Amino acid sequence: MNGAAAAAAERVIAGDSQQDKSDAGGRAREGGSAPARRSALGRVSAIARNAFREAVRDRVLYNLVLFALLLTGGAIFLGELSAAQEVKIIADMGLSAMLLFGVFIATFVGVGLVSKEIERRTVYAIFAKPVGRGEFLLGKYLGLCLTLAVNVAVMGAGVSLALAYVRGGYDPLALKIWPAVALIFFELTIIVAVALLFSSFSTPALSALLTFAVFVIGHFSADVKSFADGGGAAARALFGALYYLLPNFSHFAYITDAGHGRTPEPAAFAAAVLYALVYVTALVSASALVFKRRNFK
Amino acid sequence: MNGRPDSDGRQTGDQSPARKGKRAAAGRRGPARGEWFGVAALVLCLAASAGLTRWLELRRPPQATAAAQVSEDLYVTPRAARRLALGFNGVAADWYWLRALQYVGRKALTHRGDLQIDDLGPLNLQALAPLLEQATTLDPQFLAAYEYGAIVLPSVDAEAAVRLVEKGIRENPQAWRLHSYLGYIRWQQGRFAEAAEVYSVGARVPGAPPWMGAMAAQMSAKGGSRETARAIYEVMLRTTDDEQTKLLAFRRLVQLQSLDEQDALRRLLTAHRERAGRCASGWRELSPPLRAARLNVDASGTPFDPTGVPYKLLAERCDVELGERSEVLRNY
Repeated sequence: MNGAAAAAAERVIAGDSQQDKSDAGGRAREGGSAPARRSALGRVSAIARNAFREAVRDRVLYNLVLFALLLTGGAIFLGELSAAQEVKIIADMGLSAMLLFGVFIATFVGVGLVSKEIERRTVYAIFAKPVGRGEFLLGKYLGLCLTLAVNVAVMGAGVSLALAYVRGGYDPLALKIWPAVALIFFELTIIVAVALLFSSFSTPALSALLTFAVFVIGHFSADVKSFADGGGAAARALFGALYYLLPNFSHFAYITDAGHGRTPEPAAFAAAVLYALVYVTALVSASALVFKRRNFK
Repeated sequence: MNGRPDSDGRQTGDQSPARKGKRAAAGRRGPARGEWFGVAALVLCLAASAGLTRWLELRRPPQATAAAQVSEDLYVTPRAARRLALGFNGVAADWYWLRALQYVGRKALTHRGDLQIDDLGPLNLQALAPLLEQATTLDPQFLAAYEYGAIVLPSVDAEAAVRLVEKGIRENPQAWRLHSYLGYIRWQQGRFAEAAEVYSVGARVPGAPPWMGAMAAQMSAKGGSRETARAIYEVMLRTTDDEQTKLLAFRRLVQLQSLDEQDALRRLLTAHRERAGRCASGWRELSPPLRAARLNVDASGTPFDPTGVPYKLLAERCDVELGERSEVLRNY
């Protein structure tokens, strides 16, 4: 077992604040004091913080540099190309890039949340301590969601700044994009949960493929519904079930509206957030059930 | 074993402080010889590939002209594109919008002669309507695309322009400006009753300005008049965000002013001929009535058009026309 992973496992259990701040590269705790017992929430929180730090160490947030370059280039060059539509195009481009980068992070980091721990054998160190498998999964999930929240917030700020730049000052769109930004984040939380579910029983490559497939199908929900409405009884049952069981990402699709300065209705926004929370709870619960049955011997 | 493998996989064992110091000093000296070879190979190979690209370019057969390259295949139908966009509809619509602008721009660059944005028929813009259709299917609220189509498309395919703007009205029932653009297309087609109806419907849209109702009445009463044309272009100049459309409206208003001035000059020439029994041989003869008519004249009495070029007197026909250097639009 490598030192970093062991130290991380120790920290997860100990929840020592100084350890949280210590170099993640991993010096083992000195003194070997008995790990303090923490509440389930504390253990989940410690795992989440470690997952976040691990993502930062893995340079996941470097995608922000690419995003900044994209926005800067767009802000400078689109004015000449877009016939006075640069504000709309920057909002569309920024929010779409936010979703695209987020989906890649959610998928590829999400499928590695569990498999990396198993591959490195750090799960043995963690599960030797009083940490439940469900707590471990939830902590990992929340850690990646925190990474995505930081990512999306910084990108949202970048889009707002780019809009202010092209307008030469404050533009109302700089604020109006934020509900769409929030909904992008909630869409990503579902994708992370999907990735986590697949990775709890499948290989990373297959999990990534399946997660991306769910992302695609989730955006075809209108077609799935039309198949259900237009087919025979069997097709209606099959596609109807798929329509309600698969995640419906059209609830979160406000990027195009945001480009026109339109914000979702408060009720629709709240319902979409609730939908994400409910769906994520279902998926994380399913992941925990599968993961609990998994044999690591 | 206390040692650890070095980069070549050899066990290094314990190292004395002296050896460590030597290695550190070696490290400080800069990259090793092998690394320099690597850097040199990288630079040389990149330079060689750039050279080869240049060599191949020079030997490639001459490219087809830009006009011949303008081939705007849409690849997929608008509905399929909307499905395949996966929530990135806005960006996909922007992409088709930029393609439409580039398409018109490239065609215009290869055209010789004066062009107005509302008279691009000579460019044969066959792909413009499908490109705008694609953009607006991906983003039905893309008002700029409808407005651009309303200005540019009528000279290419008037019915496609009508279909596009009607679609925009269906998708954006609150956008009264689209009614005014549809009225503009109908007015250009000389279908004044339909234009009046469109303005009348637009006037009932919540938030529509009062001039929409006035325009409906004017269109019914004197649709083909210069007064109506002036009202349309003044509204267009006031309400559009698009610089090209603003410029078009401005130039059309200048043209209308010049047409009024030419009519005034013709009236003065006719009056002079009736009075003197012959046509004026030069503008100087008409100087007092020109000034009285508040036309823009210089010290010698020569009248100028709104772009600052003297009007040309055609003494043999007792008529007037724009000077050769005039920038006033000549087409209607």
